[in-house]
Amino acid sequence: MRDEQLGNIAQVAARSAQPYRRHIVGLSLQRSLFGLTAQAATTIGLPGLSSELDFPARLDENGDLFLDRSQVAALTKALLSWFTPETLELMHTRHAAACDALVDATENAARAAASLDGAPRKLSEDLANRMALVLAYGILSKFVPDVLLRALADAGDVEPPPFPETSAGAELMQNTFALYQACCALNYDPRRLQLEWPRVPAEVFQLVSEFCHRQTGFGPLAWDSPGYEDPNYVIRLLHSAFNEVDAEQVRRRLSFARRPSVARSSAGGSTKIAALRRVLGFWLDFLERETWYARRAFYFGMIPLLQQLVAGYRQKIPKFQPADLLFLDIRELVAGIADPAVIDARRHRYMENTEYLSLHGVDSSRLATMLGSS
Amino acid sequence: MSAENSTTVHSGLAAAPGRASGKAYVIRNAEDIMAVPAGCILVIRILHPHLAPLLPRVAGLVVEEGAILQHATTLARECGIPAAVGIRDARSLFRDGELLEVDGYTGKVIERHVDR
Repeated sequence: MRDEQLGNIAQVAARSAQPYRRHIVGLSLQRSLFGLTAQAATTIGLPGLSSELDFPARLDENGDLFLDRSQVAALTKALLSWFTPETLELMHTRHAAACDALVDATENAARAAASLDGAPRKLSEDLANRMALVLAYGILSKFVPDVLLRALADAGDVEPPPFPETSAGAELMQNTFALYQACCALNYDPRRLQLEWPRVPAEVFQLVSEFCHRQTGFGPLAWDSPGYEDPNYVIRLLHSAFNEVDAEQVRRRLSFARRPSVARSSAGGSTKIAALRRVLGFWLDFLERETWYARRAFYFGMIPLLQQLVAGYRQKIPKFQPADLLFLDIRELVAGIADPAVIDARRHRYMENTEYLSLHGVDSSRLATMLGSS
Repeated sequence: MSAENSTTVHSGLAAAPGRASGKAYVIRNAEDIMAVPAGCILVIRILHPHLAPLLPRVAGLVVEEGAILQHATTLARECGIPAAVGIRDARSLFRDGELLEVDGYTGKVIERHVDR
């Protein structure tokens, strides 16, 4: 049965009580966004997704992700009979708009926070809703690209899938190598950077800091797991990636990455095939950026808003720490609700989960560092 | 999966063409990405885009995630690194340092057992 072999969910067959992914998210704030995704998904306009109950994924309180295979099968069937050039165009337009809207909301939140202008709770709510919508697309990306690929095969398309010509990951690879070379040119190889950071010459400091700023958003799904927003992470990664590697070998790989990896579909072929390829191409590019969208929104948009809110909480709860905000859920944050006992209990549970902390590389100072309060 | 002589063959999906051999290096947690040996066969649950800078130093890629349309396929093809995806429980099957061969044309991973 083909349904049982669809996409990334194939491995959960016959054991649906098992999580699809374990411990993917630990912070209450991030986990609560998953609670908004089912509602957000109903606005996408896909067949079979008219109610929150139709959404095939849920996150439990342990941060384990569950996928409902019967819902996935139902959505797959509905999609396959729904695809036309017109519906595919609609699907593409809405998906692109959701991504663009999150980027806009991120910039809006960052601007408002920087100018101390605007209502942080309202902006947080708006940002969270847009993140939830992109997250819903992220969940759908576990099987929709494969449905599109199947529809292409059914329509008689014989070309390779339209993988990105230069993916987000390939661009990141090129930019990271460029940083490595620039630092080495200033006599700061990764080992020396590790030893001396942040007490390095201003030019080196600026190189690394600007790189981190530009690449913020790349990193693991879990916000508390360090990523490219963190200079220490980047410096260690530089060492891991380029230590004892021939620069020429790296250049060869990079030049390979600049070449189109597959033949692009020509304008010929049926209109439906062209539409399917266009939409699939967008999903494949989105696959490379789905985590980036939400992570960047968190670090550039949400954190400055959270920082604005701290003073208000401290008026009510003198011992309130900035990182306590990470243990509120988004509804509590928007409503201004904070119960110190609840926060303590959530934080305690989080810190007790050593398996999660180890898996995601979260050390004892990480939360304070994230909120800029270390 | 079949075993003959001193090899075991694990079948997955062919994600990026080419053949490579080398010692396995298994990523089990965030810290493991900071010590990837040059020339290894990287064994990982899923290859997220933020790990792309590590690819130039690896010879081949073995991924647990089971679909052909995924990050690892895109990145491995772009970099010309042989890759097999959908190798179930690969992180449990393989140990750091054991010799693996990745056939990116067929999706097979050959585990070479060292006779003692």
